Amino acid sequence: MSKRFLWAALVGALAVTAIAGSSTAMTGKTDGSNAAQVLKMSIGSEPPSLDPGLATDTTSSNIILNIMDPLVKLGKPPALNAVPAAAASWKVRGATVTLNLRKSVRWTNGQPVTAKDYVYGWLRTISPELGADYAYQFEGIKGAKEYTACDPKKADCNALRAKVGVKAVGRYTLRVTLVSPQPWFIQQISHHSFLAQHKATIDRYGSKWTEPQNIVTNGPFKLASWKHDASITLVKNTKWRNAKSVKLNRVESQIIVDATTAENAFSAKNIDVNSTGVASVNIPKWKKTPYWTVFKALGTYYYGFNTKNIPDVNQRRAMAISIDRSQIVKYITKSGQIPAKGFTPIGIAGGPMILSKSTMPVKAQLTKAKAALAKARNPKRSIRLYHNNAPNHVKIATAVQNFWKQLGLDVTIRPMEWKQYLQFLGPPPNADVDVYRLGWIYDFPDAYNGLVLWTCDSGNNNTNWCNRKYDALVNRATRTPNTAKRLALYQQAENILTGPQGQLPIMPIYYYTFNMLIRQNVKGFFENPTGQYDLAKVSIR
Amino acid sequence: MLKFIIRRVVWTIPVILLVIFMTFVMMRQIKGNPFQVTERAVPEAQQRTLDRKFHLDQPWYIQYAYYVKGVFTANLGPSLVQRDRDVNDVIKDHFPVSLKLGGLAMLWAVLVGIPLGIIAALKQNTKLDYAVMAVVNAGYALPNFLIATVLIYLFAVKWREHTPFPTNGWGGWETWVLPAAALGHAPMTFFARIVRGSMLETLQQDYIRTAKAKGLRWRRVVGLHVLRNSLIPAVTAAAPLLGFLITGSFIVEFVFGIPGIGRYFVNSVTARDYSVTMGITILLSMIIIFANLLVDILYGYLDPRTRDVRT
Repeated sequence: MSKRFLWAALVGALAVTAIAGSSTAMTGKTDGSNAAQVLKMSIGSEPPSLDPGLATDTTSSNIILNIMDPLVKLGKPPALNAVPAAAASWKVRGATVTLNLRKSVRWTNGQPVTAKDYVYGWLRTISPELGADYAYQFEGIKGAKEYTACDPKKADCNALRAKVGVKAVGRYTLRVTLVSPQPWFIQQISHHSFLAQHKATIDRYGSKWTEPQNIVTNGPFKLASWKHDASITLVKNTKWRNAKSVKLNRVESQIIVDATTAENAFSAKNIDVNSTGVASVNIPKWKKTPYWTVFKALGTYYYGFNTKNIPDVNQRRAMAISIDRSQIVKYITKSGQIPAKGFTPIGIAGGPMILSKSTMPVKAQLTKAKAALAKARNPKRSIRLYHNNAPNHVKIATAVQNFWKQLGLDVTIRPMEWKQYLQFLGPPPNADVDVYRLGWIYDFPDAYNGLVLWTCDSGNNNTNWCNRKYDALVNRATRTPNTAKRLALYQQAENILTGPQGQLPIMPIYYYTFNMLIRQNVKGFFENPTGQYDLAKVSIR
Repeated sequence: MLKFIIRRVVWTIPVILLVIFMTFVMMRQIKGNPFQVTERAVPEAQQRTLDRKFHLDQPWYIQYAYYVKGVFTANLGPSLVQRDRDVNDVIKDHFPVSLKLGGLAMLWAVLVGIPLGIIAALKQNTKLDYAVMAVVNAGYALPNFLIATVLIYLFAVKWREHTPFPTNGWGGWETWVLPAAALGHAPMTFFARIVRGSMLETLQQDYIRTAKAKGLRWRRVVGLHVLRNSLIPAVTAAAPLLGFLITGSFIVEFVFGIPGIGRYFVNSVTARDYSVTMGITILLSMIIIFANLLVDILYGYLDPRTRDVRT
């Protein structure tokens, strides 16, 4: 009996060592890959789509913009001016933009990228058949809105398609006709929705065209593998027009959704960049290490008022200036956020000028707030504050509840599940909403993108606030290419929101940041204020 | 026995229809727009197009009919949120992962839990029994996300120089151990307790006393007579437990970053991805139904006393 046992144990031990020796785990802990220029990073979610026409989130966008060549890239902040990429140069005359494409951009199957590929891609994205969320980005183009709204069962959409203002006027020349001279358009086309798409591949593979074995791209990296919900691997595209400047050979992105697991993976050296994030309780610990990295973002965290329920601007002002923004960013969010002076982020081009008269205080102004509230006729004392359910929102709401208590307001906090919350806010918001929480991350680096939210017809205006003068100012900006004049218009609009006589339909709280853990031997990793990182500039020492 | 099986299989059809109906009703009640992911509102034109594309603008009975037709033709539809994937793809890619994880967790539970239960029963009321049961009962109370995080911290971070286990992922055998232990620890405690209880009961039986009196070696008595009879409750609990392990592994999959169906399922509900939610609900219901059927059949074979009563 004991002999048999010994034999079994020996065989077992041999088997284990044999398996241990021969297997290679996908997420193996290997070091010394630095010399091979392999970047191992974590991303926080599975990209819902790598189709430039369908993707809407920053995770997808980051991958797409590293495997494709956009027309332009955004330069250094805060100006974030358009820098030539796939487009060598461009001419803007009023509402017409003509782009000259580089002749050296090629698809991974060897074919050249031509203006027709852009026309095909853009028309596909705004086509009624595709039902793309981001088709709204194209509304500045003549005829685009009408084409998207067409019902193929009821009308001939092809006629409308032919009227859309994007045409290939030469093999490598693209002409775009806008509805008005939107000066930010050239920066806007850095967005992934404006990429070229390869018609033959999409026709052949349909919705599966983005799988690694099918996809055809034209950027500095190629999609080598996509294990859904697990990992995405990019490899250097040696045939890219500027491949010489790309140092990385591979980028292995593991999809790690849980921040604590991402932190553990970083500590165990399984990844060298943690872009998933860090659990709030661990922020102080990571701040002491050299890995903690904060990037400024173009985005504002704010509370909105239901101006039907709180119609007196004196009360709104009292509530807006009685909260202590510096305490919120210091003790709750803790990641280098900046207290918001107005709605427009200070980091945007022209930000300081736009916000020069804005009045949202960094520290609480309780005396002034009480005085303002005293001026209010029949103020609403019982306030219902809604927010979507996430830990930081709960903490901030609790802090705000406390600040408003000092004004004599009785605040009830109502957390809600995200999708139900969005539906609850309408617009118009449910009558029970007095104050609600939302954030806005900018689509393109122009103050217009944020200011247009508060116009009367905006689908993102959940405040019941409508001011025709404000609308007129914002509208005029779309026809003002002169930067100085446009910034002056933005300043006037921002003053109507948060200036000394501001109407305060919303009260901004802080400007967002992105935070990551980056190992010191990773060079050149920079997330720009629109959330984009360019892997072609990253190297490993 | 065959008649019994056929009858049970035929009954699954109305059960599945009921499951589809209940899920359908519940999903519609919780409201929420599957096409709005961020605070950015979906423009009206797009909303109309998407509603039309996915039949969401039709009356509820038409949508239900589309759905049922899809289920019975094994085409569970496209995902509303992940526009380039079908529900069939989702299941094909992620279900085998959860199946494997559930199976490994069950293996862990059986290989660790049953021997613990046996030891505790054989050495009843000794210090060994108390020690084993204390550990088991403590383990029973600890939630598996805590166990998962502690395991990752200890084995994949703190002692990583001495162990091959990574912090996350799913691939080679090193990635299976920690998740299986985390997911399997609750069933492990369950098996330990059940086996100990039923062994203690069996050990009191007269026929065991007879066997001892006959002069049989104690090891043979335990190994052949006691064990075989006391394992019946454990085996019959194992099949539906396996069903729950496969379907309920969301937390472990989330913490370890494992691309399984549990995580997909929960995410699809939050995202209001109707077709994925429905598809996975059907799949999981069928697993539970099948597991229960398996138990009933197994029980008939294992315990001859019930056989005659049944047929």
